[in-house]
Amino acid sequence: MKAVKQKTETGKALRYLAPAMITIIIFTILPIAYTVWMAFTNKTLFIQSDQVEMVGFANFIEVIRGPFKEVFFPVFGWTIIFAIISTLGSFFVGLFAAMLLNNPNIKERGVYKAILIIPWALPVAVAILSWQGLLNGSYGAINNLLFNIGIISDPIPWLTDATWARIALCFVNIWLGFPYMMNICLGALAAIPETYYEAADVDGASALTKFVKITLPSIAQTAYPLIISSFAFNFNNFGSAYLITSGGPARPNTQYAGFTDILASVNYKLSTVNGKYNIAAAISILIFILLAFISYYQMKLSGQFEEVD
Amino acid sequence: MQTTVNNTEQVYKYEEKISPKERRVAWLSRIVLWIFVAIVIFPMFAIVSASLTEGTGFATTNLLPKSVTFDNYINVIKDTDFLVWVKNSLILCISVSVIQVAITMPAAFAFSKLRFFMRSKGLMSLLILQMFPTTMALPAILTVCINLRDFIPVNGTDNIFVIILLLCGGSAYNIWLMKGYMDGIPQELTEAAYVDGATTMQVFIKIILPLMRNMILVIFLFSFINAYSEFIFSSALLKNPEVQTVATGMRSFIKDKFSANWTQYSAAAVMASVPVVLLFMGLQKFIATGLTAGSVKG
Repeated sequence: MKAVKQKTETGKALRYLAPAMITIIIFTILPIAYTVWMAFTNKTLFIQSDQVEMVGFANFIEVIRGPFKEVFFPVFGWTIIFAIISTLGSFFVGLFAAMLLNNPNIKERGVYKAILIIPWALPVAVAILSWQGLLNGSYGAINNLLFNIGIISDPIPWLTDATWARIALCFVNIWLGFPYMMNICLGALAAIPETYYEAADVDGASALTKFVKITLPSIAQTAYPLIISSFAFNFNNFGSAYLITSGGPARPNTQYAGFTDILASVNYKLSTVNGKYNIAAAISILIFILLAFISYYQMKLSGQFEEVD
Repeated sequence: MQTTVNNTEQVYKYEEKISPKERRVAWLSRIVLWIFVAIVIFPMFAIVSASLTEGTGFATTNLLPKSVTFDNYINVIKDTDFLVWVKNSLILCISVSVIQVAITMPAAFAFSKLRFFMRSKGLMSLLILQMFPTTMALPAILTVCINLRDFIPVNGTDNIFVIILLLCGGSAYNIWLMKGYMDGIPQELTEAAYVDGATTMQVFIKIILPLMRNMILVIFLFSFINAYSEFIFSSALLKNPEVQTVATGMRSFIKDKFSANWTQYSAAAVMASVPVVLLFMGLQKFIATGLTAGSVKG
């Protein structure tokens, strides 16, 4: 009976799959294929279409060893640091908040949880744009607050100094990202059987031992794949990197990237401002390869491959 | 299906005695939580407060407005294109969400409940596709959209429908998510319906869709929120003031114009955020399960 069914259902399945297949092919696969082709040509905004020709790996060589070396490697390094700090920062802050909230002796914890979840609910673009104003060096509310409670005496140049701008970006990204991790951790904490801790108490384990031997391993199982996918997301987190500082402050030795630009925002600038499609396409492919690598491990860890069968 | 989010809270009828040590820990935790709450609330408080302040700039160093005024809200609506941005964003977000649901559900149904040729290959390609953000193909999309008039009589730039279509291409992740959920619907249910003579279409519409009601809401909300904050395609392809969305419009309103526009910007930010926050909070229960189920199978 199964075999008979299999034959008849292919046509039927096609009808249900067609809308998704058509949109994915036209709006995802074809643009990606075109981008791959562009990476091997001299295509820019300013070139006539009949002058476009294949240039082999010239664009990649230019990115890795040529004039764009000054852009690619520093930006690549910062992209990785930014993604790691944002991801781990969000996770540990979220875990810490979740553990505090998991205390049944705090009767009003529901109120705290409802408040702490709000940054997750805010529309990201509006929230990030607002941070741009809050962090303004001369008049922003953050400097005002720090000044009024006596932490600083001179305003901090949040958005105009390279180091402060980077710190600000990571802070904002963690501010936006920790509620999601907190929510995940709350679910994972609730799933740990109370008996584990009771048994540990009987054995006289310390709070630290219980955390390292019971809490962390139990949560890791849930959180590991999420941390990796969150890393992949932050690696490409155009919004946080671009909407606060526009990539600035500018680097002295190149016009194509500022100190807080990540690869995704460099790509955006190369395409929309400079019209250098070929270089942008080459960088895209390098990002593709890296993301594929990360995602492969993520899927292996979360067992999504087995599910395909 | 879901074992990670078990509800292990039990209601004890008797009053539990709290030891002095536990009480100390609880108070310490409270103090740390208050600091957390303050850090989360302060930026929002500052925006709301600025939106109620008289004048235009941030020249005031007060965190609390001296006198409360709603002029900024009125001025944003009267003097700027805010309502146009909201209208464009609503068209964009609702269209994308509706189309996403319409594309995702049948495809997920096929992958979950029908056996067909190349099924597992198709699933694998979905998995691979969902890790490539379409925004990385920006050079290709820009080239095609700028020159679109040469091929078909449609404007590739300044056209909201182009953005809608571009955002609808990214359904691979949603299909994967929904397929996981539909796998949780017992095979017996659909088989019983087939035995009673139901067609595949009837099974899909009368059995599967009603059971997936909550998840349809989640997909709708996710797509809506993502489209609401979409910036890359919108800012690259929408240049005309009449086609700006909330994200691109508000950026041009505030970028390099802080001292002039801050209080009005704040009012716009409050109006642009509150409905989304309320929607999110209302559906939070579904969102939490929807997110974890995507990557964690119990």
